[in-house]
Amino acid sequence: MIEMLQYDFMRIALVIAVLIGLTAPAVGTFLVQRRLSLLGDGIGHIALTGIGLGLLTGSSPVLGALAVSVLGAVAIEVVRARSRSGGDVALALLFYGGLAGGVLMTSAQDGGTSLQSYLFGSISSVTPADLYVVAALAAVVLGVIAVFGRELFLLCQDEDVARASGLPVRFLSVLIAATAAVTVVIAMRAIGLLLVSALMIIPVAAAQQLTRGFLGTMLSAMGIGVLSAVAGLTGAFEYDLRPGPTIVLLALAVFAVAVVGGSVMRRRRARAGARGEVLPAAAPARDTGAEVLSG
Amino acid sequence: MTGPGAAGTQPPPFAMTGGTVRRDGREVLSGVDLRVGSGDVLAVLGPNGAGKSTLVKALLGLIPLASGRTEIYGAPPARFRDWHRIGYVPQRLPIGGGVPATVREVVSSGRIARRSRWRPAPRPGAAGRTAVDAALAATGLTGLAREPVHQLSGGQQQRVLIARALAGEPDAFVLDEPTAGVDADSQAALAGTLGELARGGRTVVLVAHELGPMEPLITRTIELRHGRVVRDTAEAST
Repeated sequence: MIEMLQYDFMRIALVIAVLIGLTAPAVGTFLVQRRLSLLGDGIGHIALTGIGLGLLTGSSPVLGALAVSVLGAVAIEVVRARSRSGGDVALALLFYGGLAGGVLMTSAQDGGTSLQSYLFGSISSVTPADLYVVAALAAVVLGVIAVFGRELFLLCQDEDVARASGLPVRFLSVLIAATAAVTVVIAMRAIGLLLVSALMIIPVAAAQQLTRGFLGTMLSAMGIGVLSAVAGLTGAFEYDLRPGPTIVLLALAVFAVAVVGGSVMRRRRARAGARGEVLPAAAPARDTGAEVLSG
Repeated sequence: MTGPGAAGTQPPPFAMTGGTVRRDGREVLSGVDLRVGSGDVLAVLGPNGAGKSTLVKALLGLIPLASGRTEIYGAPPARFRDWHRIGYVPQRLPIGGGVPATVREVVSSGRIARRSRWRPAPRPGAAGRTAVDAALAATGLTGLAREPVHQLSGGQQQRVLIARALAGEPDAFVLDEPTAGVDADSQAALAGTLGELARGGRTVVLVAHELGPMEPLITRTIELRHGRVVRDTAEAST
């Protein structure tokens, strides 16, 4: 642990890991509730075309990925809003087009060496410039959630109610998709485009086994995200593994533990309820209608 | 409060003329004329598939009209801005992706139309908290505020949805089948809450299969069949 801190790139990588661990699950909480768990995956495919464009034109692959994935995310939302039945196929076309275009362009560039690192992540090549970009993007993502969190919560709960509360539903839908795209770009260097989505979804899936509320789920998922990212990166350094898959497998391990822990917790609570102990979770069985009538 | 009020006649909460909704080429709502006055407690009755839910969603602008027009407090839904005056209670709470939410979180989100988007408030203000507490108390949910909503019974979930609308302190409530699949206790509780609203002069539009304990509160009933209004007690009495 101490040893790895002597390397510049590891110090940078650790900070990036923390930022990924915070942002990916935070956005992921909204995506999961909106049943868009695979959105990050699709954006990851599209982002590859952006990287290819960036490499091909000699500009920054990160900026290329950012521009193309945000545009792709907006396109996805427009397609989703417009079509009821054909949207599914349109999305698939977009994803495969993005992946094929990206693979073609990146391998035309340097024979595919950078393709591997973008698909599966490569933390050893990060530079201070990467760190600044990631930090700025992470600030944007967390800022969006801080400012629009309540609106996005209601949007993800029930779109009709959000509309009947005067919320700009279309804008918010595009906003959450674009924020997911930015998150994909944040995480792609370290985790890789094919695994980015994992860190948006798995920590949330783990957290919701144990939590009762939305904010609690989001904060726990962020905790699990940071834990998996930092521990995965450290483990990858110690045992010479690829960081992306290590981080994702660690998050999956946390998920497995959470599933077991959650079911034990629920069973214990149910048993306590059956014994008539006063536990808040046991109360729902009885209605308190009489109170309302008299009140 | 709003502009037209100065002229002496406040526009009614809801006014629809010739409201027609088509779905897959079929008319699910056919030329409905409906004017809901301030303080009305209107029950929308009718068999399954009569267009009751479609009607209330069209009144709110959630479903576009193929022809005809509808206004909320004098403005078409697309240009209506005072959404804090409206409290919409949908038929049920969607599960979505299964991220848990506490009763208090869901009820607090009913305040959203009263909050400025550009002033991020990590916690609702004191007035908001009082309104949320009052809504929880009025629906008998105070003791369940920290529970995850999806572990509650159907009747309790229905009360959460009503509490969410109450928390926004709206002038007009639109409830879509609040009694469907709800036990007798919760139905009675609901009737109590509605009674309070009616006595407070709020407007209520209520879709129902049968009225049960809410019957005495209703001031007007319309009945839909095949997307048309076939009976309106207001027309009979005036």
